[in-house]
Amino acid sequence: MNKLAAMKQDRFRSRAAFVFGIILGAGLILGEQGYVGDIWRNYSEDIIYLTGQHLRLVFVSCALAIVVGVPIGILLSRSWMLKYSEAFLQAFNIGTTIPTLAILALSITFLGIGFVPAIFGLWAATLLPIVRNVFQGLLDVPDYLKESATGMGMTPGHILRSVELPNAMFVIFAGVRTAVAVNVGTVPLAFLIGGGGLGELIFTGIDLNEMQMLLAGVIPVALLSISADWLLATAQYWLIPRGVNPLRT
Amino acid sequence: MIKLEKLSKVFDTPGGGSVIAADQVSMEVPEGEICVLLGPSGCGKTTTLKMINGLIPKTSGKIWVAGQDTDKQDPVQLRRNIGYVIQQIGLFPNMTIEDNICVVPDLLGWDPKKARTRAGELLEMVNLDPNIFLKRFPKELSGGQQQRVGVIRALAADPPVLLMDEPFGAIDPINRAVIQDEFLKMQKEIRKTIAFVSHDIDEAIKMADKIAIFKDGILEQYDSPDDLLARPANDFISSFLGQDRTLKRLSLLKVHEVMHGDQVQVSAQDNLDKARSLMRDAGHKNIVMVGPRGRARGFLHLNDIADSSGRVEENYQGLPATLNINDDLRTAVSKMFRYDTTWLACVDDDGFFKGSITQRAISHALGATYRDQSQPQERALDTL
Repeated sequence: MNKLAAMKQDRFRSRAAFVFGIILGAGLILGEQGYVGDIWRNYSEDIIYLTGQHLRLVFVSCALAIVVGVPIGILLSRSWMLKYSEAFLQAFNIGTTIPTLAILALSITFLGIGFVPAIFGLWAATLLPIVRNVFQGLLDVPDYLKESATGMGMTPGHILRSVELPNAMFVIFAGVRTAVAVNVGTVPLAFLIGGGGLGELIFTGIDLNEMQMLLAGVIPVALLSISADWLLATAQYWLIPRGVNPLRT
Repeated sequence: MIKLEKLSKVFDTPGGGSVIAADQVSMEVPEGEICVLLGPSGCGKTTTLKMINGLIPKTSGKIWVAGQDTDKQDPVQLRRNIGYVIQQIGLFPNMTIEDNICVVPDLLGWDPKKARTRAGELLEMVNLDPNIFLKRFPKELSGGQQQRVGVIRALAADPPVLLMDEPFGAIDPINRAVIQDEFLKMQKEIRKTIAFVSHDIDEAIKMADKIAIFKDGILEQYDSPDDLLARPANDFISSFLGQDRTLKRLSLLKVHEVMHGDQVQVSAQDNLDKARSLMRDAGHKNIVMVGPRGRARGFLHLNDIADSSGRVEENYQGLPATLNINDDLRTAVSKMFRYDTTWLACVDDDGFFKGSITQRAISHALGATYRDQSQPQERALDTL
């Protein structure tokens, strides 16, 4: 993803999130005594407990995806790996075309049901955008920067740490944001293989045709997605050095 | 300071063939001099440069930098002791100007405070205010400012040797001339040994103490700019230097090297008889009138005063233009054409009259080297 497109997408997302937040906030305030208020009164205990579970799934699977995805992306971008890296990425791509639900279902077959297979399925779905963006971001660092760094006497390790990663950071961060958005959106499915989370309210609500229960799951999930993206956008703005951050000029 | 001996580079091409990018190049850049590696693209000049700091591994031959065989040094350590500037500048966008300048000092383990102080001093050397620029990022600087920072970054750890790969290639012509002048001024003080790649003949003539001309990986000629222009070794070099190569020499020679320094002059109160006899004795057609302290004020032309009498102050004409004795001959010729004259008075920085220069003297100076060159042949004929 090039930086300009990332920037446009970013602005669009922040605006959309802002508008959606206002609508939702207004709805909540208006609904305090009405419908939304009823939902909270009836399901607050479930919502709090399941949100905790939900967040645990998000954090653990995203953290694992970052811890594994970043080194893989770095490895694929090394010059001696470039011959093979496209093949690897294609393999990853094919992996992502398998629907997440199928991966979740598949992971039951060898991991059983519960928290672990849910984490595995989410991790697998989150991994690709991170690997792809780390790889692409590092590849996009201009050759002359690396030449200049080598010519000044930096070792390959130095170059990776002080030149390549900082200059790829914006693209890498964009990948993490995409990955987290995918992840948060997929977590409700974890309920289906016994992973828990807010999916429990949503799917049970659908099954029982209980609109309040359904919304008790849906609203927190939506709020979580928006706030996760907002958090990452803020982090992206402040954590990436001004010199390589197209959002800060 | 930099010595290359039979340095060769053979690249393998994908088709299974091979290309000789540098073929037995031997040359030496003395301490404190700028050597420009010049030639058309693909001639091996950049390859030769990059072999010096090991960015391109050499196929065979020897390289000495600062008296040391580079084969016996760790390439990373070697590079930290050689300044390196590239055309794309290569400032790291993620670092401030200060951190960019301090990259090599930090790698060498200098005291960070000492390195930062030096960064400020270096910025001042290229007329950039450290208070403004140290904390800025590269993207906040203009192209010319970035290029200046690129050069001082290479100087940060005070390496004895500098490699520059078309360092001023990406800057507009006006800024380029300014930066070249600044750099030459700086070089007078710092006296680095510099290998400098260029494809611009005029830049080479301006910057170089020595020029190395390459063609197809072979070092064709290695000479001072003046010798190169006066005595190109073969047809390739003379055609590469251009039909107007004699004119290019104009910018290498200064007015004071060519002018008549006999200072034939009159003052305002002298009478015309004195002016006439002075002109006749010196064989000049013009004479400069100077003020009481010796500043050039005007001139007399022999034909104009042939039959007149009286004093100089009643007959003189204003000088159309004067030349500074430190101007180059290119400026001299340009002024002569502009004012349609064949001579000009030369003055120093304070306007004091120092001598005069004629078109004849200029063409004589340019032609002198050609006569030198033909002498051995004549002598050879004599002995026959």
